Amino acid sequence: MSLVKFNNFSFRYKGNEEYALNNINLEINENSFILLLGETGSGKTSLIRCLNGLIPQFYAGYYKGTVEIAGKSTITTPISDLSTVVGIVFQNPENQLVAMNVEHEIAFGMENLGIPSSEIEKRIKEIIKLTEIEHLLERAPFEISGGEKQRVAIASVLVLEPILLILDEPTANLDPFFAKKIITMLKKIQETKKISVIISEHRMDLLVPLVDDIILMENGKLVGYDDKNVIMNSEIFHKLNINKPKIYTLFKGLEYGSTHFNELPLSVEDALNFFRQFK
Amino acid sequence: MSFEFLNSFRFLKKKSIIHRLDPRAKLLFAMIYTINALMFTEIVPLVFIFLSLIPFILLGKLFHQWIKSIHSLAFLYIFIIIINTLFITNNGFSFSLAMIIRITSMISAFSIFFLTVDPNDLALSLISMKVPYEFAFSFSLAFRFVPTIAIEAQNIIDSQQSRGYEMQKKGIINQIKNLFPLLVPLIIGSIKRAFNVAEALESRAFGSKKERTFYFTIRYSVTDWIFTFLLLIILVVLIFIRLQIIIMPDWFNWGLPV
Amino acid sequence: MTANKTIIYIDEIDYIYPNNTIALSKVSLKINKGELIAIMGQNGAGKTTLIRTLNGLIRPTNGNVYVKGENNSTKSIAQLSKIIGIIFQNPMHQLFSNSIEEELKFSLKNLEYTKEQIQQKVDSILNKFDFEKYRNRSPFNLSGGEAKKLALATIICRDPEILVFDEPTLGQDAKEINFFLKIIQSELEKGKTIVMVTHNIEFVFENIPRTILMANGKIIADGPTEQVLTNDLLVNKASLVLPQIHQFKLGLKKIGIDVPNEIFKERDMISFINNYLKGIMANR
Repeated sequence: MSLVKFNNFSFRYKGNEEYALNNINLEINENSFILLLGETGSGKTSLIRCLNGLIPQFYAGYYKGTVEIAGKSTITTPISDLSTVVGIVFQNPENQLVAMNVEHEIAFGMENLGIPSSEIEKRIKEIIKLTEIEHLLERAPFEISGGEKQRVAIASVLVLEPILLILDEPTANLDPFFAKKIITMLKKIQETKKISVIISEHRMDLLVPLVDDIILMENGKLVGYDDKNVIMNSEIFHKLNINKPKIYTLFKGLEYGSTHFNELPLSVEDALNFFRQFK
Repeated sequence: MSFEFLNSFRFLKKKSIIHRLDPRAKLLFAMIYTINALMFTEIVPLVFIFLSLIPFILLGKLFHQWIKSIHSLAFLYIFIIIINTLFITNNGFSFSLAMIIRITSMISAFSIFFLTVDPNDLALSLISMKVPYEFAFSFSLAFRFVPTIAIEAQNIIDSQQSRGYEMQKKGIINQIKNLFPLLVPLIIGSIKRAFNVAEALESRAFGSKKERTFYFTIRYSVTDWIFTFLLLIILVVLIFIRLQIIIMPDWFNWGLPV
Repeated sequence: MTANKTIIYIDEIDYIYPNNTIALSKVSLKINKGELIAIMGQNGAGKTTLIRTLNGLIRPTNGNVYVKGENNSTKSIAQLSKIIGIIFQNPMHQLFSNSIEEELKFSLKNLEYTKEQIQQKVDSILNKFDFEKYRNRSPFNLSGGEAKKLALATIICRDPEILVFDEPTLGQDAKEINFFLKIIQSELEKGKTIVMVTHNIEFVFENIPRTILMANGKIIADGPTEQVLTNDLLVNKASLVLPQIHQFKLGLKKIGIDVPNEIFKERDMISFINNYLKGIMANR
């Protein structure tokens, strides 16, 4: 049983003529750290919405095909049931924090699921350590910084113990230092809890060193899902209008690009490794 | 008249006996004092009622916030004095003074409620009064987003002013037309926000058919019962006085000759 | 030509919020006409507060802001907005009209142009921004990237002498960022002065000659980008990371490959590496 299985799935939002998702076939099996890439409008957010049933249950529209998460159909399984398997952290943490203080925020999802108080207490203790927000429990959402809000949002989703965690542009409003911190924290969580993490991001520089695989989307179609090296060395990646990592554009721009590199270096470390051979 | 007035209703976390009281006791307080104030039109009893609020304000360490809310009502007070003095021939000015004291008492009582009740507890107290969870939750959600919307409104004003939009316009019609560049982005932004919040809620099992656990609880303590008892006594005494007003001494009915 | 003339002079300003938090502390800054500057720093460092003092949205608690030699305190926001155009982060905070054409017309309202002049300017901007096909479309039907472009258009059409951007590349793909770069280059050619608040280190390192770093309400660095963004300590204090090319350069030097110090830009690094590899091939 795969973690994620899209079977010829297409979806068009009500009132739109164009299909936001076109015949998606995707199967994700292992626990990995995945980067979801694509130009704006390529369907990334729509794909994410499919993973916990928001499409087609919350977003009205027309669909074809099926989507299964850990064997459960996202069309018939209630979203609240899927929330214990898939957790989504949306783009703007401001609109996800619904409680008046952090502790209430983290308990919220568990309360909704009727999880007993003793279990709630236990999980809160664990998650605040993992996400480093112990000192924020009594604070209100408007009192904390953007980076802190993001960590609270992540904590409030993780506490439902999903096996697949999805984040839609988690570093959008963060400065580079905190962006790096959050991504590193997510990688650590992915490894220690042995879950899968999918991140949709524009800032490739930050993510490429840490991810395993890349899902590539273009115009509502899935155009690639493979190891990051394979995807980033592909023609289709090269042609896309996304913000490529600096090292990638650097090496692509070299005269010796095609003759010397079977695989382009994807990070500074990779690039340095290549040059070590000459010394 | 500015947004400053609203600020003085904002909850601030403090350590005081009033803050520690159960929100239901404080709601009762606000309601009883409103009834108290509405029972009288004479200056003297209203002054007593108003003065009896002061200890609560001081106990709650609310003096500064409270003063701010009263002070921003100055405009309203002047209006009341003028209208009443002009149109009520029978001691109009005296009557208007009494009205001002009455209004101040009612607003202060509710102000004490809003200033000392943690919005987290507000929803819980509504639920304990058998209000359905979804309703209580949307109430606290509204509270939660007030500062967010206020910041958004300011950002919208900034963006529009930066492209030459002018806040002050002459004439009623112009002033109304002038609100569009502010209201449209605000309303659309709020609708988008509502969608985002809704999908975030769904994703965290809001609306699940399971029976909800309430991890946080509020309980009526001994202090709350004493407080409630005190309020009821004040109410009963005032009702008695109201009904037996004939037996009150002359100075009780004192009013300015104007 | 009035080159090197001070167009913005910020003189030791403080800004303290009503709740007593200090947003700006003794900040001083001189900007000359025609410059292109980046302001970077941690969220909350005071960057957006600082740019708001330029057009009067915020009045400093202490100190003065002079634009074109005149003190801002004598001018209204409406007056200052004719000289300084600020484009904020979220385009949705300003869009409200029935069509893109009307949105642009609204921007030109307080500039005392005739109807014909307004129409002319709107037509010209629609052209420049490739929005002719969207002339009658509702601004709410635009994608995020296009909405940001429209916000840019609404300020550019006012032709202010000073342009200030708040996170202009956020949420934009490569093509959109390229377009933005072309627009600012064209404005610089017209003699405009441009100030940009951003987190985009790579963009700044590659394109912007002067960088100011802020932390905790103070300016902690102000100088040539190549010096400022390669300084470990400063970059850390401003909550940034070193530019990738610089990290690469340092790494190469550590391995023993002698990269000349003047190499900062992508183009120069590419030439250097091409030559280096050519050398290696030749010696084989």
